[in-house]
Amino acid sequence: MKLSRHTKVAAAVAGAATIALLATACSSGGGEGSDEKITLTVTTFGTMGLDDLYEQYEADNPDITIEATNIDTGGNALTDWQTKQAAGAGLPDVQAVEEGWLSKVMQVSDSFTDLSEYGAEDTADQWVDWKVKQATDADGRIIGYGTDIGPEGLCYNGALFEAAGLPSDRESVAALFGGDDATWEKFLEVGNQYKAATGKAFYDQSGFVWNSMVNQLDEGYYTADGELNVEGNADLEARWALLAQGAADGLSANQTQWDWGKGQAFVDGSFATFVCPGWMLGVVKGQVEAGGGDATSGWDFADVFPGGAANWGGSFLTVPTTSKHPKEAAALAAYLTDAQSQVTAFQAAGAFPSNVEAQGDAGVTGESDLTAFFNDAPIGEILAARAEGVVAQYKGPDDSVIQEQVFGPSVQELDSGKADGPTAWNHAIDLLHELVSE
Amino acid sequence: MTATTIGAPRRSRRGRGMGLERRPGLLAYLLILAIFLGGAYPLWWSFIIGSSDKSALSSTWPPLLPGGQFWTNVAEVIDTVPFWLALGNSIIVSTVISVSVITFSTLAGYAFAKLRFRGREGLLVFVIATLAVPTQLGIIPLFMLMKQFGWTGTLGAVIVPTLVTAFGVFFMRQYLVDVIPDELIEAARVDGASMISTFWHVGVPAARPAMAILGLFTFMTAWTDYLWPLLVVPQNPTLQVALSQLQSAKYVDYSVVLAGAVLATLPLLILFVIAGKQLISGIMQGAVKG
Amino acid sequence: MTSTLTPSAEPRPAASPTPPAQPDTGRSEFRRKLSRFDVKYSPYFYVAPFFILFGLVGLFPLVYTFVVSLNDWNLLTGPGDWVGFENFATELASPLFWNSLFNTFSIFLLSAVPQLVAAVVIAAVLDQNLRAKTFWRLSVILPYIVTPVAVTLIFSNVFGEQYGLVNNILTTLGLDPVMWKTETFPSHVAIATMVNWRWTGYNALILLAAMQAVPRDVHESAALDGAGAVRRFFAITIPSIRPTLVFVIITATIGGLQIFTEPKLFNAASSVPGGPQRQYQTTVLYLWDLAFNRQEFGRASAVAWMLFVIIVAFGLLNFWFSRRIASSEARVSKRRTRRRLEGYRAVPGAVPGSGAALPEPTDPADRLDPDPTAAPYDEEPRA
Repeated sequence: MKLSRHTKVAAAVAGAATIALLATACSSGGGEGSDEKITLTVTTFGTMGLDDLYEQYEADNPDITIEATNIDTGGNALTDWQTKQAAGAGLPDVQAVEEGWLSKVMQVSDSFTDLSEYGAEDTADQWVDWKVKQATDADGRIIGYGTDIGPEGLCYNGALFEAAGLPSDRESVAALFGGDDATWEKFLEVGNQYKAATGKAFYDQSGFVWNSMVNQLDEGYYTADGELNVEGNADLEARWALLAQGAADGLSANQTQWDWGKGQAFVDGSFATFVCPGWMLGVVKGQVEAGGGDATSGWDFADVFPGGAANWGGSFLTVPTTSKHPKEAAALAAYLTDAQSQVTAFQAAGAFPSNVEAQGDAGVTGESDLTAFFNDAPIGEILAARAEGVVAQYKGPDDSVIQEQVFGPSVQELDSGKADGPTAWNHAIDLLHELVSE
Repeated sequence: MTATTIGAPRRSRRGRGMGLERRPGLLAYLLILAIFLGGAYPLWWSFIIGSSDKSALSSTWPPLLPGGQFWTNVAEVIDTVPFWLALGNSIIVSTVISVSVITFSTLAGYAFAKLRFRGREGLLVFVIATLAVPTQLGIIPLFMLMKQFGWTGTLGAVIVPTLVTAFGVFFMRQYLVDVIPDELIEAARVDGASMISTFWHVGVPAARPAMAILGLFTFMTAWTDYLWPLLVVPQNPTLQVALSQLQSAKYVDYSVVLAGAVLATLPLLILFVIAGKQLISGIMQGAVKG
Repeated sequence: MTSTLTPSAEPRPAASPTPPAQPDTGRSEFRRKLSRFDVKYSPYFYVAPFFILFGLVGLFPLVYTFVVSLNDWNLLTGPGDWVGFENFATELASPLFWNSLFNTFSIFLLSAVPQLVAAVVIAAVLDQNLRAKTFWRLSVILPYIVTPVAVTLIFSNVFGEQYGLVNNILTTLGLDPVMWKTETFPSHVAIATMVNWRWTGYNALILLAAMQAVPRDVHESAALDGAGAVRRFFAITIPSIRPTLVFVIITATIGGLQIFTEPKLFNAASSVPGGPQRQYQTTVLYLWDLAFNRQEFGRASAVAWMLFVIIVAFGLLNFWFSRRIASSEARVSKRRTRRRLEGYRAVPGAVPGSGAALPEPTDPADRLDPDPTAAPYDEEPRA
């Protein structure tokens, strides 16, 4: 009795295993195919707008198959890359790298292919010059092709503005925040007006505001020559005080960043403004759609940014040396970042081109799905205007740690009202000592 | 007793005697029903969301019945992560680990329980002492080792660290020490059977129920492991890793994520329905003890 | 050669007839030597695979972790300077390390204690003569087949702060929403809920198996003696399942102190693993963050070692403690039971927990039952 019963269980398990093995055999057989067919893996993050380009490239190069993986946030992508880098295995043929953790990548820049070998030097002048400089390591090797840059404008919900008795068309909104002289003080002032009229929060959470405040300084968490510069940094502290004031006034909706209630907060009027680097426009669109909204939800994009020109993020495509097909991978990376591709990525996700030619392309300055979503805002033109005066801030090796782990908790303390500005700042400094060794 | 008096006891044929074998009252059924619903509802809820479009999550109250989108969402899952590869990997990893743990644990457990050899006590104490050693905490050197061997990215890296467990050996020893009468082994020996043949013909048949339970435990542990496969085979994922990758890729479209969670549960659910009764009776045979 | 020995699949306790000994004729000296060699060394071959493999994948990594912990060791760039015990000192002085320990223990207690109590209660309910008992048993173990990753994906949504199911219900009932993901205690409750949801039924079944092994007539005689169900439960059932209880507690401890998946994926988009303020960053998650986010292999190894020591110490303490409590209870109840048993009849060997074998119903008390053949376990396979 007993025996047969257990035998049956074993048989069931074995049966399932066999099926799975067959399934595996089939799927891998289909994937690899014949000898000359090459599979290139690509890992990206956030909303980079490359999906259509993969299909196009596969169609143009029938011997290439692209397997793309996308990771939700740059922070999670960094962990993913670090683990694979340390394991010496599992890295894709083309790895997207964010500006914020580029310096970590530079620590091990020799594990990335020097793209000069595949013609990067010849095409270097097609990018804005600081983008190429960022991707060049100490030995002069170019390890990444620039994708986008992140000039910041202001996303706002026109319908909510109108309901609050504020002007809602783009020009008036830009003027409302102070136009070319927009400051964070003015931003908070308008926020308080909005709050008084509606009782609702003004922006989603303080984290992104803080990132923008830091990123637009000439020197952020590090000085230009690479010294850690947080403690006693008067510029940072002054901005922190503003941030704390905004949170204390109830201007932050204390949403969970990168979650936003699966997009619902974008459509239910939880907040009315949102700081928008180019690439964030695609995120906003995706979130609004996930929350059940669409172009009629009222989101718009204004040519103004508190505190002046700001750049947040922007990425590079690299080819790790573990790639078995560096030549093909480099060719793919070059394709994904050439002028025409950057136009496509921009139209899909708002990733503003780092390619000079693409910036002036009609596809960028003209209409697209994205412009339709943002109330026909001339997104390309606005971003080009917002990119003027952007400086490449030096990002130190622990920049992403400081942004996410040192200030992240304190920002959340402000938003949830658990600490006032000075207390939260001190907590951040404690964490800085704890987390970042000099 | 309280249960039988509070509720309305059904009068059964057997219920009149001592009271012990009377059918329990309504309260007991209500309690167990509540537990059943509490256990099943989250699964049902994920199926509902996973079979709807993403707007289902926006409603304050989840719909009661599934929508018609399940296969669309499943297609999306399969398109986003290598689901079949991951399923195959999980099955291979869990099966190999289970077979290995059962084999080596039964061998060693039998030796500790029934054979006399010099150093037995000391070695057994060692096994017991290492029971509490969480091998998971060795991830850093194991990670470096796997890198050294060039095994990262291969299933071997997932399998090798858990080929044996001290728990398995101790478990089998505890079971076998009571279950096999020494006379049986002596009889086999007197009969001229070799040690290994005695093991095979006396030890293994007696050990079978415990082997099944140990196999189940091991299979589930291997199947559910997340930390280690996450580190060594992110590009060649097991089901758990693939599922977490799905979450980070589809964070805006949670119906797809939940469809993936349901899909990943299905293989075990099917096995559970087919073999559930045997599983329960296996556990009920009292193979587990301290 | 072993043809005369055809052992039955079922072990027959005590009753196996010794097969007639074969006359030891014609055996060569060589064969006798071989046989002696076999007897003497075979056991070592049986235990060797375990010890060799365990040494390689269990012991060696543990020792090597210690070596790494004495170095300044970077994830990406490799070993740096030898720093002695500095990593340990750094961690012991780090509030984040202590925070992770606090979280680990808090979540562990919030999960282990209610889970065990609930498991014992559920097992006791299942131990009754329920209709469709196999169905109920299957249903309590259902959550066990849902893997922690899937459980966390499901529950992280249910516990969403502003749009989750639980908070929707709370606000509908006019209550304040709970900050499940950003406040310490609620987040621990949420994570403990996931753990409990998955494990309670499983532990209940293990405990049920032990309860079923308690001879029924012990219960019956106690019942005759006027002991109510609750009293019998505490006086007979609990002491009899002591070894299993210890087993379950220790397993829960070792697992609970290494919790990783649930806090890791509970709020996956959080920029800090384990909550914005590390509200639910457990020690293993902290270790992972140190090693694979912050690249501090050396310090992570020091954390691994300290956690190892804590788990072993806790395991031992646990073992000792539950042994003590349970055995004193068992002594009392055994004495009590024995006294009672003596009062009615003399059944030798029917001591609680003596084994899975069911005693034959030779008891006069059984004859009170109109249908003596309908034994309590007629739906169960007999051992």
